[in-house]
Amino acid sequence: MANDTNATAGVYKETLIAGLWRENPVFRLLLGMCPTLAVTAAVKPALTMGLSVIFVLFCSNIVVCLMRRLLKPHLRILMFTLTIATFVTIADLFLKAFAPVMSETLGPYVPLIIVNCIIICRAEACASKNGLAVSIIDALGMGVGFTLVLCVLAGVRELMSAGTIFEIPVFSLARTGGWFVPWAAMSMPVGAFITLGLMLGLVNVVSKKTA
Amino acid sequence: MSKIKHFIEQSWLLIVASFLFGLLIAVTNAAWSPRIERNKVEKLNHLMRGLLEEAERFEPAGELEITSSKGRKAGSSLFKAVSGSGECVGWVFNAQGPGFADKIELVIAVDKDFEKIAGFDCLASNETPGFGDKIKEQYYRNQFVGAPAGELVLVKAGDSERIDSEIVAISGATVSSEAVVRIINNSMTQIRRQMREKGLIGNGE
Repeated sequence: MANDTNATAGVYKETLIAGLWRENPVFRLLLGMCPTLAVTAAVKPALTMGLSVIFVLFCSNIVVCLMRRLLKPHLRILMFTLTIATFVTIADLFLKAFAPVMSETLGPYVPLIIVNCIIICRAEACASKNGLAVSIIDALGMGVGFTLVLCVLAGVRELMSAGTIFEIPVFSLARTGGWFVPWAAMSMPVGAFITLGLMLGLVNVVSKKTA
Repeated sequence: MSKIKHFIEQSWLLIVASFLFGLLIAVTNAAWSPRIERNKVEKLNHLMRGLLEEAERFEPAGELEITSSKGRKAGSSLFKAVSGSGECVGWVFNAQGPGFADKIELVIAVDKDFEKIAGFDCLASNETPGFGDKIKEQYYRNQFVGAPAGELVLVKAGDSERIDSEIVAISGATVSSEAVVRIINNSMTQIRRQMREKGLIGNGE
């Protein structure tokens, strides 16, 4: 009995760590690239996007897990998309009602969570094959892993493009007599590609060294 | 008969789930849509108040239509700005047109006789960060405050402090600066004509 409990706890821990590092959706699975590139110009929208994805992933993993025995194989993707679309719409309405400014900044990228591969990947690879507990932990691990990467990427870009992090000034800008000249390019798509590329390289170097 | 049975067997979950999820969205929407509507109205009011500070409230004054230079028609809502003592202090309307990357939507305010521009603000725009999005900055927008509500001209070099029909373009963002001037010019002539037809302002003769 004690062995069983240990084994389950081990599975839970493994699942959680998989999402955070070993199978991190952005660095390892290279999934969800669209929001990763599009909404990481500043930390606030990146965090909002991350939280929305956690919410959708959490709800859709629970629903998919509960109906996994009823799914017909050839209709499963349809069911996943239906579930995901429902929760994304709710998240979108929530942002419009309670965070209108953020909702405008993110624009079409909130509805586009529907086609974010991370969520459908977790529904297919995890929630439709595992129990409720594992599905929930997987959703949290993957969701938090995704959010962390988005925030780090956005932090670097916001610092370079505006000299701020979370809208708090860090560098003194040249405009106000300081030394830092903001790099406008970092807030444009080119900044996203360069930062993401360098980060992926760095992660590969780190994981090769530690392997 | 067996075909129908097969169909139901295969798809009952999809049908049931569609109904349940649809219901869930309907309930959420019903609960939050008044708040969403209020947010939109508040945003517009906030922008309009920034343009016409002496106005206390904005009364809807009808729906007008603006035809773009390419012949496309778009609706425009006209608001009458009313001061605390009940006097008309100006008019506000929205107009849109193509920008550098995406549509630019402006809120434009004019004085009560439609002779001078009281200012404009961006309702929605997606111009290049660091260049085109400077159309939202005060130094560019200030050039329009008090400018004659006639044909504005965009110039590359000039004195941006002087208030006249010449608007000095933002360096590195000629397309965006031009787009704003074009939207304002195009909408103003048409709105003025339609307002005269409705008798909201004198015909200026």
